[in-house]
Amino acid sequence: MGEILIETKDIGISFGGHKAVNKVSIKLEKGKLTTILGPNGAGKTTLFNLISGLLEPTEGQVFFKGTDITRLSPLKRIKMGMGRSFQLTNVFGALTAFENIRLAMQSKENIGFKIFTDHRKYHQLNEKTDKILEKVLLKDKKEFLASELSHGEQRKLELGMVMALDPEILLLDEPTAGMAIEEVPVMIDIMKNIQKSGTTIILIEHKMDMVKTLSDKLIIIVNGMFLTEGDPETVSKDPEVLKAYLGGGVLDELAAKS
Amino acid sequence: MILKKDISKRMMIFLGILLIALVILPHVSTLSTTTLFSRIFIMAIYAMSYDILRGYMGFINLGHALFFGSGAYIVGILFNNIGNTVPMFLVAIVITLIYSSIAALIMGKIVFRSKGGGAASVVAGAMTTLALGEIVRHTAERWRDVTMGADGLSFRIPPVFADRTMFYYYALIFLIVMTLILRQFINSPTGRVLMSIRENEQRAEFLGFDTEKYKLIGLQVSGIASGFSGVMFGVMNRFVNTELLTVQQTLNALLITLVGGTGTLYGAIIGSGFVNIVQSQLLNFRRVHPIFERWLLFFGAMYVIVVIFMPKGFMGLYYSITDKRKSKLQNQTIKETSGKTS
Ligand SMILES: Nc1ncnc2c1ncn2[C@@H]1O[C@H](COP(=O)(O)OP(=O)(O)OP(=O)(O)O)[C@@H](O)[C@H]1O
Ligand SMILES: [Mg+2]
Repeated sequence: MGEILIETKDIGISFGGHKAVNKVSIKLEKGKLTTILGPNGAGKTTLFNLISGLLEPTEGQVFFKGTDITRLSPLKRIKMGMGRSFQLTNVFGALTAFENIRLAMQSKENIGFKIFTDHRKYHQLNEKTDKILEKVLLKDKKEFLASELSHGEQRKLELGMVMALDPEILLLDEPTAGMAIEEVPVMIDIMKNIQKSGTTIILIEHKMDMVKTLSDKLIIIVNGMFLTEGDPETVSKDPEVLKAYLGGGVLDELAAKS
Repeated sequence: MILKKDISKRMMIFLGILLIALVILPHVSTLSTTTLFSRIFIMAIYAMSYDILRGYMGFINLGHALFFGSGAYIVGILFNNIGNTVPMFLVAIVITLIYSSIAALIMGKIVFRSKGGGAASVVAGAMTTLALGEIVRHTAERWRDVTMGADGLSFRIPPVFADRTMFYYYALIFLIVMTLILRQFINSPTGRVLMSIRENEQRAEFLGFDTEKYKLIGLQVSGIASGFSGVMFGVMNRFVNTELLTVQQTLNALLITLVGGTGTLYGAIIGSGFVNIVQSQLLNFRRVHPIFERWLLFFGAMYVIVVIFMPKGFMGLYYSITDKRKSKLQNQTIKETSGKTS
């Protein structure tokens, strides 16, 4: 196994007695694309929230590059090189597509608290922003307000914003959610390109077929619990996994085991 | 909407003519009109400072008058106790600058601490600012030796400010300089981050911005501008009382920005013109019927009318007209190009 970037140890959180994430221990390898797979409500997004610091776990720990980050604020984690996108589209609606990505770039380039220089004067930022817009195929939409973009375009914009941050590890929460079928391959291409540039990616999905070819490794989460992991071929044929996807017995079995 | 490009040529010409008209104005109008316009200019900056908070940062500050009123008190107290000279005016500016940034820092540290947004924390934040404003007002009322309490403080001003026409020009310069500074602030990298915080603070944080620090800077800049406008207001009136520190005074800024257009910066100037002219006209009608003394009543009525008929204020109206023209052009070109390809 290569270098581990992120590790969770028995991490868990409960909401009013309901264990949304229950003692999950996973290791995420550098340079790989790992997909976290599980049915609706399995706790995938919640797991991301714990890793990115949006939620504080009720038990367990998170490590990033060997450091215990369990109690660190999201901001500190981002400064350490973590980036995330959101399942529900989360762009700045009243700002243009360009400005959305330019802001991410401004953060990345550490412009700081300048109050008397014009933001348009940072030509390097503008050029880099244009490059990202090109990568996410939004170049001709750059002057549109983010709220005027189609859902699929907003998803691309969202991805562009995290790409601009150029993080070491990228947490993508269902980047294709709600996208038109014909747009999905484009998104996959974009992700492949990010991966090629050496960025580690953790992807959340619940469409098995989509991630099989893309992922180096699958991690299956069901009912808040770790079920299994491995290479896509093996895992996708695992009878337990199939059962989980068809709904039914596996949940009770897992509950009995723990 | 708010991200307007640089000013067009036509706009430059319009502004040039407007400037000439404003320079001539005091020579062709009555003294009371001149004073009314001085008031409009000063209140415009006060409202603009409020717009930075509400329109650009998405922060509701019900205690905003504390900066404005304090600025007026600072200059009044200095003139009264040390001397009504120009250097003392400059000292007042410096003290207001320091006072406002410290007050904003304290206010921000208290209000911005609770993260996460949500309706509950917005209300809690607004209530806290209300309480802080009341504390300052109460202090001014109690500190009779210096502030003359509820009677208010009259003071003499330096002779250079005494001439109403000359003061009009100072107020106009104040308006122009402050507008340019605040515009620069809005267009700065920090100003842009504030806008992203207004849109979605959590997202801004996940882009790696320390949102609390940015909000503190925004509140400080806004507080300083508000304080400066208070200094000017005090000098204009040669009088300050606790009314300048009340919630009503904050609501005046809110009304002006609503009328002019929230989040547009320049809306504050138009709104200030409109609201102040309406207010002074109503006062003239007092002789017709005593109901016209009820400013608050008209204030409420104007608020309702604006919210219903002009939700984005005058600037919103203006932008929607120019945008319509623009999008018409855009549609035409889209049709043309798509016509070519098909
Ligand atoms: N902030 C919260 N407060 C209360 N319950 C929550 C919260 N966040 C998640 N949950 C609950 O935790 C469980 C897991 O939710 P989560 O969003 O993590 O699932 P998911 O695997 O991402 O599902 P989906 O595929 O639908 O996105 C659900 O039962 C959900 O209702
Ligand atoms: Mg989810």
